[in-house]
Amino acid sequence: MSTPVQPPASAGDTATLNKPSEAALVTWVTIVWDDPVNLMSYVTHVFTSYFGYPEAKANELMLQVHNQGKAAVSAGSREQMEIDVDAMHGYGLWATMEPG
Amino acid sequence: MREFKRVGSMIKMKLSDYEAALLESLVEQLAEMLATDAGVEPSSDPFVRWQAELDASEPLDRTDPAIKRLFPDAYPDDPVASSEFRHLTQAKQRSDRQRQAEVVLSALADCEAGEHPVQVRLIELDDWLKTFTAVRLSLAARLGIETAEDAAELDGLPDEDPRLFVYRVYEWIAYLSENLLALA
Repeated sequence: MSTPVQPPASAGDTATLNKPSEAALVTWVTIVWDDPVNLMSYVTHVFTSYFGYPEAKANELMLQVHNQGKAAVSAGSREQMEIDVDAMHGYGLWATMEPG
Repeated sequence: MREFKRVGSMIKMKLSDYEAALLESLVEQLAEMLATDAGVEPSSDPFVRWQAELDASEPLDRTDPAIKRLFPDAYPDDPVASSEFRHLTQAKQRSDRQRQAEVVLSALADCEAGEHPVQVRLIELDDWLKTFTAVRLSLAARLGIETAEDAAELDGLPDEDPRLFVYRVYEWIAYLSENLLALA
């Protein structure tokens, strides 16, 4: 989930790198952590209503949070992720962000 | 009638006078907890307001576990970035929560102590759910619920333990949330 981007091993690898602009945009992820308070139905509701995810994807992410303790729920620029983390806090979910 | 009923673009929720008063008191407590500077008139000068906001970078008591849970660190390994994040977001979070609490309190007032069903407009559903969640997070912090086992332990407390009452209230609000979500 949070594997750091490795520098190319040799000059020959540079062709496989993302364009710098693209790499700069998608470098952070929003993580939602499991907590014993929030209801499963509510967490799914948050993922559908805030992110606009289809019910199946929202439910899958909710189960990942529940069973694995956390899930990366969105990815993007640092500024975007701050907006998402702020929104998750507004819903009462325990969310953090980290380089993706 | 049933306790919860979907009627067009709203959900009607039947509460007793006791339940309505209990809910009102909990939501008022939440609003008070977030309004640390209540009573201080905000200045009409935007620069003065901005300066006051800068001075009050941590206006809420972060030794309170409920405040810590409502405003968690965005950057778990970076206290400085987390504090900056709060600095940018907390004033808006607090005013949003106050507004959401007002939506709930005004609907509770309209039910006239359980005389009429409480009307939850679907357009305001998230205001209700966010407020219920914040109340439950605060109660959970007071009860020390950090794991599912903590909750199970509270459930098994003897009747005379005052924490059991708080735990029952916490569960009851979960029940209200579940029913609102099921009818939305």
